Amino acid sequence: MSRLRAERLYKVFGRRADQAVAQLEAGTDRDELRAQGTTAAVIDASFEVQEGHIFVVMGLSGSGKSTLLRMLNGLLEPTSGRVLFDGEDLTALRPRELRQVRAHKISMVFQHFALFPHRSVLENAAYGLEVQGVPREERERRATEALELAGLKGWEGSWPDELSGGMQQRVGLARALATDADLLLMDESFSALDPLIRRDMQDQLLQLQKTLHKTIVFITHDLNEAMRLGDRIAVMRDGRIVQTGTAEDILVRPATDYVASFIQDVDRSRVLTAGAIMRDAESGAPALADGGVPEGATTVTTGTPLAELFTPFATSEQPLVVTDASGAPVGVIDRERLLTALAEEPRVAPPAGARNGNEVSAHA
Amino acid sequence: MPEFHPGNWVETAVDWLQTHLGWLFDVINTVLTGLYDGINMVLGGAEPLLLAGIFAVVAFWLRGLLAGVVGFAGFLLIDSFGLWDDAMSTLSLVLAAAVITVVFAVPTGIWAARSKSVSAAVRPVLDVMQTMPAFVYLIPGVMFFSVGTTPGLLATIIFSMPPGVRMTELGIRQVDSELVEAADAFGTSPKQTLTRVQFPLALPTIMAGINQVIMLALSMVVIAGMAGAPGLGERVYAAVTQVQIGLGVESGIAVVILAMYLDRMTGALNVRVSPLGRRAAAKATAMMGRMRFVRYKPGTVVALSGVLVLALAAGGLNLASSGSDAQAASGTDVGKGKQLKMGYIPWDEGIATSYLWKEALEQRGYEPSLKQLDAGPLYTSLAQGQTDFQTDAWLPTTHQQYWDKYGSKMEKLGDWYGPTSLELSVPSYVKGVRSLADLKGQGKKFDGKIIGIESSAGEMKILKDKVLKEYGLEGEYKVVSSSTSSMLSELKRSIQQKEPVVVTLWSPHWAYNKYDLTKLKDPEGAFGKGEKLYNVGRKGFAEDNPVVAHWLKNFHLTEKQLTSLEDRIQSAPKGQEQQAVKEWLKARPGFLDKMVPVPGGQQKQGKGAGKTVDMGYFPWDEAIATTYLWQNILEDRGYKPKVKQLDPGPLYTALSQGQLDFQTDAWLPTTHEQYWRKYKDKLTDLGSWYGPTSLELSVPSYVKGVDSLADLKGRSELFGGKITGIESSAGEMKILKRVLKDYGLDKEYKVVSSSTSSMLSAVDKSVKQKKPIVATTWSPHWVYSKYPMNKLKDPKGSWGKGDRIHVTAKKGFKKEFPELHGWLKDFKMSEKDLGSLEAAIQKGGKGNEKESVRTWLDSRPGLEDKLAPVE
Repeated sequence: MSRLRAERLYKVFGRRADQAVAQLEAGTDRDELRAQGTTAAVIDASFEVQEGHIFVVMGLSGSGKSTLLRMLNGLLEPTSGRVLFDGEDLTALRPRELRQVRAHKISMVFQHFALFPHRSVLENAAYGLEVQGVPREERERRATEALELAGLKGWEGSWPDELSGGMQQRVGLARALATDADLLLMDESFSALDPLIRRDMQDQLLQLQKTLHKTIVFITHDLNEAMRLGDRIAVMRDGRIVQTGTAEDILVRPATDYVASFIQDVDRSRVLTAGAIMRDAESGAPALADGGVPEGATTVTTGTPLAELFTPFATSEQPLVVTDASGAPVGVIDRERLLTALAEEPRVAPPAGARNGNEVSAHA
Repeated sequence: MPEFHPGNWVETAVDWLQTHLGWLFDVINTVLTGLYDGINMVLGGAEPLLLAGIFAVVAFWLRGLLAGVVGFAGFLLIDSFGLWDDAMSTLSLVLAAAVITVVFAVPTGIWAARSKSVSAAVRPVLDVMQTMPAFVYLIPGVMFFSVGTTPGLLATIIFSMPPGVRMTELGIRQVDSELVEAADAFGTSPKQTLTRVQFPLALPTIMAGINQVIMLALSMVVIAGMAGAPGLGERVYAAVTQVQIGLGVESGIAVVILAMYLDRMTGALNVRVSPLGRRAAAKATAMMGRMRFVRYKPGTVVALSGVLVLALAAGGLNLASSGSDAQAASGTDVGKGKQLKMGYIPWDEGIATSYLWKEALEQRGYEPSLKQLDAGPLYTSLAQGQTDFQTDAWLPTTHQQYWDKYGSKMEKLGDWYGPTSLELSVPSYVKGVRSLADLKGQGKKFDGKIIGIESSAGEMKILKDKVLKEYGLEGEYKVVSSSTSSMLSELKRSIQQKEPVVVTLWSPHWAYNKYDLTKLKDPEGAFGKGEKLYNVGRKGFAEDNPVVAHWLKNFHLTEKQLTSLEDRIQSAPKGQEQQAVKEWLKARPGFLDKMVPVPGGQQKQGKGAGKTVDMGYFPWDEAIATTYLWQNILEDRGYKPKVKQLDPGPLYTALSQGQLDFQTDAWLPTTHEQYWRKYKDKLTDLGSWYGPTSLELSVPSYVKGVDSLADLKGRSELFGGKITGIESSAGEMKILKRVLKDYGLDKEYKVVSSSTSSMLSAVDKSVKQKKPIVATTWSPHWVYSKYPMNKLKDPKGSWGKGDRIHVTAKKGFKKEFPELHGWLKDFKMSEKDLGSLEAAIQKGGKGNEKESVRTWLDSRPGLEDKLAPVE
């Protein structure tokens, strides 16, 4: 079920913001508004986030993704539209109530960590609890637990300026986790880190997510990161969400030229999975005619990225058998199919009506 | 360009504020002085060594061992300069100013940081505060708060406020906006964001601002000294204006020591107070490795207990020493610890006489305090009653402007020196120059220069405008204006090198005592007539301090006395003025007793001490006055006088029967003729002490053109055809009828008979409303001392010859009271004395006659000894 829902969010900076929203709804262009001195940062953004999902908002700088994120916890008030969290309309709350929601239900991790330099690691991690008014003993215990989850056991007494960037962000993460908030907003949280450490952190996040099942909205400008983390991904451009879908949806069926050009550089072999390119049983995979896995055939799961299919093909001419989670075969991939999929230029998905006819592009 | 003077409005506004918001200034005054006094009591009360120890422990705590030791040495140095008390006053001033400044500056800074419009509004105000020359608000400060701590504090606060506000605003604004957003994202309320995030992070910057506040406050202290704020500033100011280079340097060093201590300590306080500072310090210590002990600092608890031990010791010492204050010798203790505030302009004769009076008043049990001020603030504070008196008023020229402005709010207490003179002088080794005329043609010798003083000085103006012209010296000589101190040092240098020099000088001046100088004669009188030096008191000073006022009025110094005193002070080590005065007095035994005689001759007992004297009087003003006068005197002399009021008839009867010993108010030969004739065989006449008395009509002095009874003719309209009389039964009223007839006034005027008291209140009312009145009066009467009444002349002698007032006693009085008899026989009083005594009794009110006479008597030291001499 969806825990967080954004309904037609608009954020316009500048004078006569309400009027600008009306103009935008009537079809006025964003650039025309800018000429009037108003900036439409977010235009008509709607989405839902399911419980336990990581929802990635991806876009280049200036696309409005950070503004969108800050409307979700009320740091910025939407010019129009609603934010529903567990059915509660955050935009209708008074400042004091909104602060309560932020203190207890929504936490945030920042791009540049935003650790308090005058507080120790433990005090930083405990900050949210301190604001809630949790007694010292309990908040230190919970902060210590959060730090342990984030992999910082033993660093409680240190100071932020003694830690590396990655460790600082772990403190930021621990601070967000310590409050037990269900919704985690992550604003380009890993963008300031070295690539290796970034990967580490992504792994850690995915690892944590397995046990914690938080609902996460993650902002990034890095498509690889988005593909890696996102259960669903929204691509933003010039304030609008241009496409929402799974990584494969985006990669395989880009909605616009913009998305298509965006995903050009993506390492498809790591994003596309076996399930996305296999020839399934119904379309007549000869190897699966008997309904069981053939003797001696190599099996992979539907979730295996293409990058991991090369090794089996290097040693055997046999097509690979793709199985589902239960181990039942659902399709096969032969060498030719793998290479075609990788060579494929992403093509913009046609309008919804023509969609079925073009499904070939992913199968061909 | 049309002229535009907002300054005039400000002046009007200041006047208005002064009259309408006095209470507000009183409140501010109370708060500021209260704060200052509180801090000063703590700092000034402690033993220097112990307090220096406390400062050292604080330095040790904040900065380490070295700072502690150096700080201790610095404060000991201040103490060894003899400037400890001043330094503590200054420190109190700075701390008080800093506290108030921080209390206002930090919240304002925070407010400005949170609101752009506040920031925009505050900025120009801060600019004004920081750049407006301090004197500009020091002057109104003096007008509102008079001289002393408050205007100095206020100026300091205004001056040191801006960095406090600016740095606070900057500090808060500088806090990373992402941190503020983070706090916000975790649901922190704006208030908590301030206290948990913004303030701690801005603290280093705010502390830097506070450091600036304290340093600026310290730098302002010298300027505050000009407005009479106590402490090192006063010292520096005095040193500068009196060319006491030594004192100047020492006070300067003391200021520097304080400044460095305060700067380092507030700087280091940041490390203790702000978490970031602690963090940085811990890092630095970690880097030091083996040298760590140099940086060792005791923990807060250790330092606190050290301070506490020293403070307790200091408190204990204070208690121990407070019991043993020396008392002035009780016999000469006239002042009984009364405080007198004296001010002086740092002119040599002002310094000399002020310290002379300080010493003299202390000898007499007063507690005088001295404050050096510029002429303007000094007169302002006199006019406002904040200073009691000063001794160096040059009138009628030099201080004329102040006298014009404040004359009505001050009173002259007599002149003590004069005439002064202005002159040009040359060293006596310059031959052939004896008069101003001799200067002509000698320009080359003197390099064409006359060494002047401050260009603003009146003497310089006269010199340039008149003297040079008069003697044709224009063109040949150029007057170099500088300052008095520069002129004196130029003179000193020239004399050391035996070079010719012409300087602008005046008499009295110690330079004449110190150097061999020739005053150049001024045959043309171009410098004008000299002035006199007056003592000037605040309004009502003489009334409040009759004895001191009397001393001041009788005070005189010769040029020799003055210049020798000045020279003695000049050559004494700085800060030792009073010591120099003491030495000067020691060389002149008896001077002090003449200058400040103890009233009542120290209550010497008379020969008839212990005897009871019965006195009687009837309620005529002069009878009351003299009877109470003698009652006081007799009590002083050990007699036991009893006073009884009677009507004239019973009085004379009682005297004749020996029930009363004497009375003072026998009007003879006319008024009391009947009693005298009846009892003269049983009475003794001790002679007249006043006379002749007279009866008269009188008019207020503002009624012009009416000087004699004859002048009344034809002016009945002016007076409404009325003559205000007294009781119709009085003898005078009968005579008045004859008088009017003699002058042909009986048709024109109507005599309204009433009572003496109604007549007096009619006079009072008329004088207040400046209306004309003709009153029936007689002399002696206090009405003449209280109101400006003119007695109308009686060229025809119609009133008849006056009586004389006698003392009459019972028979055998001489034998019984030989001593008193002698005193009464010699008793005399002038009309002026009697009038003032009667007026004093009037003022004191009914039932206080004895006390009123006591005060009056005390304000005339020596009078009692004159009236009732004892060996």
